[in-house]
Amino acid sequence: MPPRTTFSPQTLAILAALADRPSEARHGYDLARQTGLKSGTLYPILVRLADRGLVEARWEEDQPQGRPRRHLYRLTTDGLAAAAAARAAAPAPAVATARRRVATPRRLAGERS
Amino acid sequence: MSEQLARALAAMLHRSASLLPARRRHWAEAVAAEAAQMSAGLPRLRWLAGGLWLVAREASMARRIGYGLGVAAVAAAAVWTMWLSWRTNSAADPENVTDRARVLAGAAALIVLPWVGRRRGWFGPPGSSITMRLLRVAGCAAICALGVSIVRNDRHAGINGVLGYGKFSWLHELAGLAFLALALAGPALMKARWQQLDEPARWSIGVVAGVTAFFLLPIQLLAACSAALVLAGTSRRSPARPATLTVGASIGVATGLIMWWLATILGELGGAWFLLMPMAALLAGFPAGLASGWLLSGDEDPQRLRAARIRQGQLGGAAAGAVCGLVLTAIFIGIGVMLLIGPLAGMAGGACGGAISADHRRWFRPGRSQAAEAASGSVT
Repeated sequence: MPPRTTFSPQTLAILAALADRPSEARHGYDLARQTGLKSGTLYPILVRLADRGLVEARWEEDQPQGRPRRHLYRLTTDGLAAAAAARAAAPAPAVATARRRVATPRRLAGERS
Repeated sequence: MSEQLARALAAMLHRSASLLPARRRHWAEAVAAEAAQMSAGLPRLRWLAGGLWLVAREASMARRIGYGLGVAAVAAAAVWTMWLSWRTNSAADPENVTDRARVLAGAAALIVLPWVGRRRGWFGPPGSSITMRLLRVAGCAAICALGVSIVRNDRHAGINGVLGYGKFSWLHELAGLAFLALALAGPALMKARWQQLDEPARWSIGVVAGVTAFFLLPIQLLAACSAALVLAGTSRRSPARPATLTVGASIGVATGLIMWWLATILGELGGAWFLLMPMAALLAGFPAGLASGWLLSGDEDPQRLRAARIRQGQLGGAAAGAVCGLVLTAIFIGIGVMLLIGPLAGMAGGACGGAISADHRRWFRPGRSQAAEAASGSVT
């Protein structure tokens, strides 16, 4: 079955952010900072993507000093294919919106550097 | 202050994670783990509030709350009906006893309604769209309201025996309930118990039991059939599209209210109402069928599309007629037969409307809307 190619602009933004550095496992705060999405939007989308097998989610293996362990996300092989297909198939405004979000990340109010 | 609030939200997030299935709890923990990255104050509060929103979504809180409210409303309707019935005249009157026995049976039926509606099969689970769920809740609420309306009318009018006719007889009541149960559950039970019994035989037994029950307990049978129609029409297996049911229900309610308005203007017309009401259901079915058929588009074979449109027209008409019949029965107590005639007359009108819209060219426009895609899917 061909990968699904129609996604919301928010999902496209997350897929684009994850596809930028496909080998790197990203955490939620990092993705929120890059895409400008709030946690209430970001996490439900990550849940759906993980349910569809497009995103692999796992906990950080080592316990870091001074902060809790993080949940990390990375595109699976299917996810990479879906992200590429979605980028190719998405209508121009959706791609532009997603790219703008990824290229010029909105700084989250009060984020720590 | 905001730190205290953030701690309270974080505690709520940890606690509410238990509402999620075990395999999903780590998502709530993931949000909580990242909250420490946000600076104190509004950003952290927003982040944690987003986590609570995630839990509410994933735990289907709205659905759970809605279902709980629905069950509570059905229970309240059952209790209220019984209370109203018990406040009628002397229990020494045999017809009062009849009403009470029937109200108890009706309340018991209401209590099993949510259970039947959730089981996988003809009547459940409900369709996935919010429209189907809302229509299911509204339909069940309307039938509950009809029961309350009948009992209230009985109480205010001081006329006993509105729910049934003739002298009270336990044999009559019990036989009626037994035939009603056989008609509703008989075919499925026989299929499970005697697999060698062929389908026509099972259904024949169900139909004979239903006809017998109709003569013994007419209103109860019609109300049970209306509830079954609501559950089947809004279940996941239903052939009717959400748009079809919405159009049908809206036109049915409007027609019922127009008839009520006409009744207040025209006054007492006696037997003429028994002719006008089926006519109203027939007329309500026509535009419902026309709109239901027209709303279905697709890029499939034109002949298949035409057949699908006529079918949706019939279903839309039946929905309009059934709702019109329900409204008229609630307003003009005593013409419960509209619960039976309404859907049939509506279906006839809907078939005519659907046939007209089936010949109207309306092509599928890919990507125009999700509704168009869904419509295309329902043709196949």
